[in-house]
Amino acid sequence: MSRTPQGWDVDSPVQAEIFTVWRSGDHLELTGPCGAAPWLVELGATEHPVEVVDRIVRDVVGDPLLVHSTSWRRDRDAVILSFVVVIDAGLVREMPSVPIGRAALARSEATSAPREIATEAVVEHGLRHMAWLAKDDPVVAASLDESWKALLAAYVPEPFRALG
Amino acid sequence: MTDDEIRRLRCACGWEASGKFEELVLEAQEHGRRIHNMAPTREEVEAMLLPLDAIADHRAQPDDSSARSA
Repeated sequence: MSRTPQGWDVDSPVQAEIFTVWRSGDHLELTGPCGAAPWLVELGATEHPVEVVDRIVRDVVGDPLLVHSTSWRRDRDAVILSFVVVIDAGLVREMPSVPIGRAALARSEATSAPREIATEAVVEHGLRHMAWLAKDDPVVAASLDESWKALLAAYVPEPFRALG
Repeated sequence: MTDDEIRRLRCACGWEASGKFEELVLEAQEHGRRIHNMAPTREEVEAMLLPLDAIADHRAQPDDSSARSA
């Protein structure tokens, strides 16, 4: 789930990191135009992060079922806003896709951020956040079918938080 | 670098393209706008160009029709 260090890259001071997730039968998978690697998007000074993510996902992938910001952290000399975007299986088409495994969370110290945050930990937290929303937020609950909710039940519900 | 020299450009997301400078500027701007909400200038594209043989593990992104193999 890593980006190549060689080449041109997103470098704005505020960036969105999109994790495009879909249900493949009895498990969740991660996909998107960058495959399993984080899909990074620049956020301009006057742009609303949710509007940008929603627009670019619609343009590149198709209409999402759900767009939700699940955490933030400082990384890559920027503030990174992480989003979980839920899409229907029919939108995956030929995009690379990999099953999502479980991961340990990157826990903060009492008064400081974690020293290192792996992408897998960000995804894990994002899905725990979705598990919380599926129980707490009527809009999210209505957007996810029972099969999705059953898969999220395996995650420990956890609200939005800073990861770094 | 001459205008006709074939060079390569790679985005950290894995997308890459090869071609003449003017072609790469257009492709990079299209990829940046469409996938990353960014618009690299000609100068930024020029600064990021690589020799044609610089990337051994070519990976084109199948969802992005602007990605071209060498």
